[in-house]
Amino acid sequence: MSAQRDKSHPAVQFRQVPIVRGPLDQFEIMRPEVLSSVVQKTYGGYQNGNYDLILGQALYQERFRLKRFRPNVFSKVRKKKDEALWREVQGALLRPSTEVARPELLQKVLGHYAEEIGGHFDPAVYRFAVNLVPLGLSWMLNAASVRRFLPWGLTQSLESRMRIYGEVGHLKKLAQKGTILLVPTHQSNLDSVLIGYLIYLMQLPPFAYGAGLNLFSNPVLSFFMGNLGAYTVDRQKSNEVYKNVLKNYSAEILQRGVHSIFFPGGGRARSGAIESKVKLGLLGTALDAQLDNLLAGAPKPNVYIVPMTISFHCVLEAASLIEDYLAEAGKHRYIIMDDESWQPTKVARFFWKFFSSQSAITARIGRPLDVFGNFVDEEGRSLGPNGTVIDPKLWLTTGGQLRREPQRDREYTKELGKKIVERFHRENTILTSQLAAFAFFETLRKKYSDLDVYRFLRLSLPQRSLHYDEFLPKAEEYRRKVRELEEQRKVYLSEELKAVSTDEWLKDGVRQLGLLHDNTVMRIQDGVIFTEDMNLLYYYRNRLSGYGMSLLAEGQIGPGKDDSKGFLV
Amino acid sequence: MTARAFWFDSTVAVIGAGAWGTVLANLLAKNCREVRLWCRDEEQARAMTTTRVNAKYLPDLTIDPKVRVFAEMERIFESRIGAVIWALPSYACRDRMREAARFFRGDEFLFHATKGVEKGTLKRVSEILKEELPCARIGVISGPNLAVEIARGDPSATVIASHFDEVTEAGVTLLANEMFRVYSSYDVIGVEWAGALKNILAVAGGAVEGLNMGGNARAMLITRGLAEIARFGVAMGAKAHTFTGLAGLGDLLATSGSPLSRNFRTGFRRAQGEKLEEILANLGGVAEGVRMAAIVRAAAQERKISMPLSEGVQRFLEGSVDVHEGIRVLMARPMGREY
Repeated sequence: MSAQRDKSHPAVQFRQVPIVRGPLDQFEIMRPEVLSSVVQKTYGGYQNGNYDLILGQALYQERFRLKRFRPNVFSKVRKKKDEALWREVQGALLRPSTEVARPELLQKVLGHYAEEIGGHFDPAVYRFAVNLVPLGLSWMLNAASVRRFLPWGLTQSLESRMRIYGEVGHLKKLAQKGTILLVPTHQSNLDSVLIGYLIYLMQLPPFAYGAGLNLFSNPVLSFFMGNLGAYTVDRQKSNEVYKNVLKNYSAEILQRGVHSIFFPGGGRARSGAIESKVKLGLLGTALDAQLDNLLAGAPKPNVYIVPMTISFHCVLEAASLIEDYLAEAGKHRYIIMDDESWQPTKVARFFWKFFSSQSAITARIGRPLDVFGNFVDEEGRSLGPNGTVIDPKLWLTTGGQLRREPQRDREYTKELGKKIVERFHRENTILTSQLAAFAFFETLRKKYSDLDVYRFLRLSLPQRSLHYDEFLPKAEEYRRKVRELEEQRKVYLSEELKAVSTDEWLKDGVRQLGLLHDNTVMRIQDGVIFTEDMNLLYYYRNRLSGYGMSLLAEGQIGPGKDDSKGFLV
Repeated sequence: MTARAFWFDSTVAVIGAGAWGTVLANLLAKNCREVRLWCRDEEQARAMTTTRVNAKYLPDLTIDPKVRVFAEMERIFESRIGAVIWALPSYACRDRMREAARFFRGDEFLFHATKGVEKGTLKRVSEILKEELPCARIGVISGPNLAVEIARGDPSATVIASHFDEVTEAGVTLLANEMFRVYSSYDVIGVEWAGALKNILAVAGGAVEGLNMGGNARAMLITRGLAEIARFGVAMGAKAHTFTGLAGLGDLLATSGSPLSRNFRTGFRRAQGEKLEEILANLGGVAEGVRMAAIVRAAAQERKISMPLSEGVQRFLEGSVDVHEGIRVLMARPMGREY
């Protein structure tokens, strides 16, 4: 199996693969039904609740949000509609409940949210998009490549730029046996586009996915995403009513067999590290959906969770992400509205550089899991200890009955979350650039081990330079460490990282690292290796945190934590 | 059907017919339809069935008529089992679980009453259960529970820890009665480590008693001992306050001064000059403290956790130091701040 494991999936060799149909194709027909079911389910959850209190709390939080919300030309309409709704709710709440029935009022709010969240799917747009992407990519490639006059070089290059490893066959089989919930690591806004395209290349039917509402303020993106099964997630709406509608929407489409994608980390990883914690709210909808299916006796009740890792040599928005991380400006709550990564010139520049540099994107499909975090075999059966088969129904049985048990189900989801984090680290592919950044950063740190992270990041240029020849053996020492990890099956290494000579992989890494940034992250010049941007170096270095390789990582500190000097361990 | 009604009508299995396993079976019998007790020794199982007494461990306790004793694992699982209580000593845990695994369906609630961890891996019993059995819902029972005292009906309390509310609720329903209080906790790691670590101090408690030392020595042993096992527990992921609860301080108070505890008896007799092998040969059961002392010494050294008392117990048990010399060394340690 291991030999096959490290071969990229053959699908990427073809520019054009047949479009596979799936439940999303019928989405426009079932959409009204989905939305009304979401409203009814959410409303049912509030049965006999204190409607005045529920609505009052939502009203307070929404008015607070709207006050601070600065819309652009395209999101203005949405703001107006929101304001009108909440004005109406406020007016209604001031009148006695005999005059304005609260249940209807709540349902109106639920309907408003459901409509906002609910996506669309247009098969024609999908067809157009999957044809457009390779065309666009080919154009870029043709223009950028030195081989522009050799058309047959094209497909081969595409293949070498996008690598898909791992359990592709397994995933495809499971897509026939149940509903797939793909959970990828998240670094860049390009992830959604990329994953959508990879799904098409793997000949899977289109997936639904949640996308931040802020992305919908760009009309072009909004058109594509809105018609490709994306539903909106507004992380600024923190009220319970909204969150419940969102969860029920996700559960509803999973239950209807619509394969979905969540970024379980919540947003893009600010620090650059692999997710060390995942958000459990939306993730729990996988179990909810499966349980509802089992209760309804559905023919394909199971939801399979498939972790996926994506490794980049460069992340377009790295600079603002790491700045945000360092400032700790409310972490996930702080959303950069005017994101540099979506300025058209930047995007064009990214692709140009990407294709002219022979850079590659590496994705790996991880071993599929069930809703409890157990591995799943190719038949879709949950595997227990020593290869035994577990019946998920029995794990969802309490007091002799198959039923919902909120505390139990939350606990199961917590376990699943932990397992996803563990799989992310194990199924990750380390690239030359990441190891070069890590080795350089840690070697510098050894020199200035008494500095905390903020002072360290302000080292002067001479201070952040090393003699290349002196650095070589140190870098090789870090490669030895990751090789050891690979032998223990704790991580994968890219092909380039397996190069024989240190000089070879290190130079490749230095060249690839953060190609698109204004500042070169690392450079070798006159026998000296140095960095021009410590923050970016830290960002790329962080990808290898969580593997116990960092300097001064004290005993029991786990991934995602800071050591005594404030560095990510 | 409410959860309580479900458990009152259920069949529960107890794996292990030692003193604690037998008492647990009797406690369960008050709150459920039937208890199936697994006893490794066929002859003993037959004797228990006919005489209704566990002659080897608890000759004075009459076994409840609702308890049925079997020596074959398949007989235990002949009827639908709602919950299983694992009450075997820690050394044989994994192998026994592997043998039993095929009988489990997956919806059973699993409890264990084993105080110890796996040598080398330092895995707690609940972790081993999870690795070997196809069940997810696991709880641990631990506390000041000297089997003989509970058997004769003295008041007592225990704590059940699980991540699942439904598991602790089931444990309370099944075990609690007018003389037995059951508390619940989420700190599974803490309850398991507290139960395992206190056995080492119980051995020391026996030694202090064997040397006829007074209340001051015992109090010092308990308070400083508690501080060091809590330190170790927290490093393993436990919550500190669990160690001041029933599974920590509670169990320590009960066992470090009671001749009913095998760990205590081991320390007591060792202090009076008997050889360890002789003591263990006719102790009438396993002294988990002896095993734990060796395991913990290695683990504490590796993690650089200061555990002078446990270290002293290990040296004293293995005979590398004489008891008086051991005490002298401990007393001569540099003075420090209490916290």
